[in-house]
Amino acid sequence: MAIEASPASLPAPTQAARPHRTAAPWGAIAAACAVLVCAGPALAVLAMALSAPPAAQDAALMRDSVLGTALLLAIGGGGATLLGVACATLVSVFAFPGRGFFAWALAAPLAAPIYVLAYGYSALTWAGGPLDWPLRGVAGAAFVYALGCYPYVYLATRAAFAAQSMCALEAARTLGATPISAILRAALPAAYPGVVAGAALAGMEIVADYGAAQHFGVTTITTGVFRARFAQDAPLLALQLAALLVLGAAFLMWIERRARGRRGYAAGPRWRPAALADAPRWFQIAATIFCAAVVALAFALPLGWLARLASLRPLSDVDGLAAPLFASLALAGAGALATLAFAAVAASAARHGDGWGRAAFLAAGLGYAAPGAVIALGAMSLYAVAREAGLVGGLSAGLGAALLIWAYVARFTAVGAQPLEAGLARVSRNVAGAARTLGASPLQRFWRVDLPIAAPAAAAGALMAFIEILKELPATLILRPANVETLAIRAYAYASDERLTQAAAPALLLTAAGLVPILLFTRALPRLRAGAR
Amino acid sequence: MSHLTRRAALSGAAAFALAACDRQAASPVATHINLYSARHYDADRAVYDAFTAQSGIEVRVLAAPADQLIERLTLEGDQTEADLVVTADAGNLWRIQQAGLLQRSTTPALEAACPARLKDDDRMWWPFTRRARVIIYRKDAVDPAEVASFDALAAPRFRGQVVARTSTNVYNLSMLAARIERAGADNARAWARGVRENFARDPQGGDIDQIRAVAAGEAQVAISNHYYYLRLVQSDDPADRAVAEKVGLVFTDQGEGQPGAHVNISGAGVTLHAKRRDAAVALLDFLVSTPAQQVFAGDNSEFPISDGTTLAPLLQGLGPFREETIPISALGRRQVEAARLFEDAGWR
Repeated sequence: MAIEASPASLPAPTQAARPHRTAAPWGAIAAACAVLVCAGPALAVLAMALSAPPAAQDAALMRDSVLGTALLLAIGGGGATLLGVACATLVSVFAFPGRGFFAWALAAPLAAPIYVLAYGYSALTWAGGPLDWPLRGVAGAAFVYALGCYPYVYLATRAAFAAQSMCALEAARTLGATPISAILRAALPAAYPGVVAGAALAGMEIVADYGAAQHFGVTTITTGVFRARFAQDAPLLALQLAALLVLGAAFLMWIERRARGRRGYAAGPRWRPAALADAPRWFQIAATIFCAAVVALAFALPLGWLARLASLRPLSDVDGLAAPLFASLALAGAGALATLAFAAVAASAARHGDGWGRAAFLAAGLGYAAPGAVIALGAMSLYAVAREAGLVGGLSAGLGAALLIWAYVARFTAVGAQPLEAGLARVSRNVAGAARTLGASPLQRFWRVDLPIAAPAAAAGALMAFIEILKELPATLILRPANVETLAIRAYAYASDERLTQAAAPALLLTAAGLVPILLFTRALPRLRAGAR
Repeated sequence: MSHLTRRAALSGAAAFALAACDRQAASPVATHINLYSARHYDADRAVYDAFTAQSGIEVRVLAAPADQLIERLTLEGDQTEADLVVTADAGNLWRIQQAGLLQRSTTPALEAACPARLKDDDRMWWPFTRRARVIIYRKDAVDPAEVASFDALAAPRFRGQVVARTSTNVYNLSMLAARIERAGADNARAWARGVRENFARDPQGGDIDQIRAVAAGEAQVAISNHYYYLRLVQSDDPADRAVAEKVGLVFTDQGEGQPGAHVNISGAGVTLHAKRRDAAVALLDFLVSTPAQQVFAGDNSEFPISDGTTLAPLLQGLGPFREETIPISALGRRQVEAARLFEDAGWR
């Protein structure tokens, strides 16, 4: 129902071209395509849950898992949002020592999988670790989620700041507002859609995460799915919980859409780079300390401790990491390209189409909050249906790889589609109209007008998808070709068997591999603004 | 005429090629074998390499948790490339077998190496190492005689002094399954509830985390598999070795009239659709051979499967112990019931 409600609540962006009805078939085709491919696995899980007879309910597990997820969303998600907004505001608006470094370093924790942070922090703070401040249970998991997920809010908010002209902010200053009140009353309200979009992304990550919640012993809907399915052998209950996740994803997507719909404050056609605000010296120093503390807690401290553990191992451990590194890069590269293709379909459908197109965009994002294992399950179930119908054979290596890429697309299209949609929104009505007057078909227009303008956004989307796939674990575990091991799999296999010293090297290499695209992404960020070319 | 001859010649060639393929498939000389493994130990890799050196058969491994391997094997059906499945815990082996993914296999070497209690009745899988679930206690707080039985963990003596991992862990599930088999569901439920009431904190982390908590004074006793303790003893990290110094290990329930220590296994079975069956069986034989058993014992601190094998020094240092006698199949059969009893008892 959330899906139906959203298109109506989505006013056309002020600056972008208005959708034109002649493109309806294109929108419908794109919608069908996106629904089948991107939302297929998630919808399969929903359908299985609904078509099954009501399972004997385990009320306790249902209650505990919903409560656990709600708590983690409230504390972890809330913390991530506060941290993200604070950091993005500081970096976007003020000049302070180290700002250039922090601009990208604050995004760095994105490169480390959340379960790596969780293992790092338990090694640091649990019995036997150097810090005597044990992080456990809900509080521990929420702490790790806040630190691991704030970069989603940080990046989205920074993009929102970058997209708005600072003219409004300066006007506020001219009208006598102090820097702080200018931010609170002019800049932040304008960045609101970015904040909510980032918070929704962070929320989806938290809802879908398995590793950290399991490690801290918190029952969430996602860990509940596994408990029901494997320990209790109650596949129906597992399906119901999984369906709950998919509905939760739809709800978060809807919130995110609504926030984007309120682009009432968006920038005018005139844009120029904002002059960074001067703040008092004490404020600048405080800003530096704050950003340094966030980077230290979310990145340097846990990963530094892992580096120390890795240094205890013989150097020969590193020899075995070349093949997993290559596998990780190859899978993430192929997955990111496939994701980008579907993200382009979804984003252009959202822009050109009518309600169909917008529904397609929503459907394309449905898989993001579902755990990878649930998506893999959905993809495999659809495959099993196709096999029973005689359409395909048994799962050969090639089919398995195709299923895996499908699972990536289903799970991460939302990550690629969102920057892309924002990028396409920059194609002004005049340009679009001119293309149409000159006789361009929608497809030609997409290829020759929209795509070149949206290219930086497309690259940003692909980089984000690349990083996410690099970290992806459950779907890769089930569907990867035999004899292929990624860095994430290697790190998790050791860490889950409590050999953190051996897990440290692959985890660090994985993080390093993710840092490169993050550096590229944060450098591209200022170019995603309204009038940039 | 010429058209017909060509067709005849072609079909003749095809038949010949098919026969050649067939012969190749039936040939015992496979160049490689595909193995799905839920064990991810360096010791295993060393054993596979030794097997390759001896037989010329390369061992390719896909490692993933048992649950995922079951899902994957089920989906692959007769297209699977897997010849052998390897996993820790009898509960996992039982589930793979229940899913109809294994085929019967037996050899004189396997029959001779494995004790009767640890064999599968249908010979669908074979055990190759043993692991004991033990009690770890803090030396300065607990007299080992106080924790001579797992029953002690549910007694008021240890109120607020017990740590253990979550109940979804298969080692805990199998431990409770054994108790259900031996003493009945009511006993098992009451015991699980008693232990839960004695928890020093909510279950979290793995077995080593529990041992660390005991050493740090957060609790007095923990439940763990024996090799985690030995891993700390041998750790690269001096802090880990300091942890091992502070704690002791007890094989439980050794007294007269007591059931003996809870012992689980790692095992392997030939997949139903194995394409290199002979090579898979050869690897099974190799897993229970003395050289392989010495690697598992030496590198991974697991107990050998045969009663007669000489123990590695570290294992020998733990001293002799007596095992429980229930059939190993009970661990799988009672798995789901154990999960339900844990939930009843509030042990999350």
